[in-house]
Amino acid sequence: MKWSIGDNPERFSVVMSNEGESMSLSSLSSDGNEVAAPKIQISSDDFPGRLVVVTEGTPKFAHVARVGDDWWIHLDGRAHLVRGHEKGSTKGQESGSGLTAPMPGTIQEVLVSEGQRVREGQTLMVMEAMKMEHKIQAPRGGEVSLIHFEEGDRVDMGSVLIELAD
Amino acid sequence: MFPDWMQGAPNQFDTVLVANRGEIAVRVLRAVKEAGLRAVAVYSEPDSESLHVEIADEAILLPEGPLSENYLNQEAIIEAAKSSGSDAIHPGYGFLSERADFARAVSANDIVWVGPEAESIEVMGDKISARSRMISSGVPVIPGDEVSIPEDGAHLGPLAVAAAKVGYPLLLKASAGGGGKGMRVVREPKMLRTEYEAAAREAAAAFGDGTVYVERLLTGARHVEIQVLADSNGNCIHLNERDCSLQRRHQKVIEEAPSPAVSSSVRESMGKAAVMAAKAVNYVGAGTVEFLLSSKGEFYFLEMNTRLQVEHPVTEMITGVDLVQKQLEIAAGLDMGISQEEVTISGHAIEARIYAEDATRGFLPAIGKLSTWIAPSGPGIRVDSGVRQGDEVTVNFDPMLAKLVVHAPTRKAAIRRLDSALSNFVALGVVTNISFLRNAASHSSFISGNVTTDLLDSSDISEFCDPEPPAQTLVSIAEAALRMGLDKAHTGISGNPVDEHTGHSGDPFRTLSRSYP
Repeated sequence: MKWSIGDNPERFSVVMSNEGESMSLSSLSSDGNEVAAPKIQISSDDFPGRLVVVTEGTPKFAHVARVGDDWWIHLDGRAHLVRGHEKGSTKGQESGSGLTAPMPGTIQEVLVSEGQRVREGQTLMVMEAMKMEHKIQAPRGGEVSLIHFEEGDRVDMGSVLIELAD
Repeated sequence: MFPDWMQGAPNQFDTVLVANRGEIAVRVLRAVKEAGLRAVAVYSEPDSESLHVEIADEAILLPEGPLSENYLNQEAIIEAAKSSGSDAIHPGYGFLSERADFARAVSANDIVWVGPEAESIEVMGDKISARSRMISSGVPVIPGDEVSIPEDGAHLGPLAVAAAKVGYPLLLKASAGGGGKGMRVVREPKMLRTEYEAAAREAAAAFGDGTVYVERLLTGARHVEIQVLADSNGNCIHLNERDCSLQRRHQKVIEEAPSPAVSSSVRESMGKAAVMAAKAVNYVGAGTVEFLLSSKGEFYFLEMNTRLQVEHPVTEMITGVDLVQKQLEIAAGLDMGISQEEVTISGHAIEARIYAEDATRGFLPAIGKLSTWIAPSGPGIRVDSGVRQGDEVTVNFDPMLAKLVVHAPTRKAAIRRLDSALSNFVALGVVTNISFLRNAASHSSFISGNVTTDLLDSSDISEFCDPEPPAQTLVSIAEAALRMGLDKAHTGISGNPVDEHTGHSGDPFRTLSRSYP
């Protein structure tokens, strides 16, 4: 399993070794390159979903929760999402040229038509979700090659709404 | 059976239906039970497993469908009150809380309405009539012209004329809007039509009324509001101010009391103006008069919220007055039992709203399952939550999950306590704004008490960014957790450890999701 911090493209590989009740970090690589591994020791805790993490001699609690291949980790007062990537998986990579719905909702307005040239930042669609309006804007200039929905359509999170060609 | 405190009251009741959901339903249902009354919840099908349903003495299922079929369905709620033997209805905030027709329908069915008279709601609910009532009562209002335009919006002529008179930037508001919905900033004339159409649509979607009006946008002003309390026996007092200046797109993010910008003389005159505003509409119950406070210390009436406010806990913390208990006493027709002289300020309180939203992606509402939810606790820490571990956060409702309220002797100490409590708030499985709240509360403008309502919208969002995450430690934890098999779902009560000594399940410092059968 390779790991990334959220959607950050950097991929980590981690080798842990067992040391009795706990585990220690033995080696770490980032995007295939070995990096100096800090001294990190991790052991389980009686409290479910909690680990004791000792970094450079300082112990801290970390709360963890798994969702699919991803791990939510609360450490030092902040929550982080660490994504797991199986070998050969394409998750987390750009889904081509499509613009996707950031959340489920309803298409309220389509402001462009197929074949139209648009500039970066131009509003292409307006969708309504959670009673608020959200503008779907062009991430770059280009030509609208396909529009997948029309006004009034309900869309799921991640649905490709509009495709742009250069 | 009426509780002791209600003996001799003119409008006695023994069962209160709470026509709401989420954290406010939980807050009010608990207060109702604590007052020795029966607590009845209503819910829609997706809320079947909700905390507010769990803690109620009885819960009535409302019809399926959109909000108009359930939480906004007046007939169904009144029917639920009758079938459950409820002789009072508390509306919470939002939903039907500021619907005069609902207040009227409740009273017409001989059910006690825990709120002001329908007429008060009506006058204050319409921003134009509220404004003219305030002008005639001597309450200062925001300078500038205003216009009401027809709902179809086919011709914007009158709007354009009024807008030019008011001047840009201006604020377009839906007359029936609120909470940032149906409210748009127009910075230049050419944006007028686009923003008007957006505001009208939002207002129509959220409130079923598309009327809009314009007002000059005061930049660099603070949002300060006064809590008022009035009973039906002619007593009307204020409980000092709350400062809600830290906002994002007109949604309050952090509120505090007292305001770091209000001197005792401004407090006194603002308090008097708020009492004047309440009296001008014969107000009864708990209400809030919102003001904009300019940097020069002048203040202008913004609107009156004729209901309990989301941020009411900060006032409760500094005054020691339980506003929901007072609402119940006032609804029963009793004297509020507290005089203006008895209202004091003790220490400083700050509330941070915990939203399921992603600050790094334009504050998009987030969804998912709260696989871990451990709220902080300790002296001076209060969490009003509508959710518990294992709950599913969906797009069906408002993304506010909970409110964290801290209380400490001084503002500085309260800020430290807030940061510490936010750090100990463990919410996993759904992206929340907890980290963003920590960044906002540690921003130099907030610490210095120098926050204006446009701070978040006008600042570079990078000023509120998280510090660089400890990537190497995090990926090591993920790898170790995977290898240790910590992937067993540990959601809900069943997965919590049982304390060997007490036999209680769950974290002993966590009381939120515990149910008291």
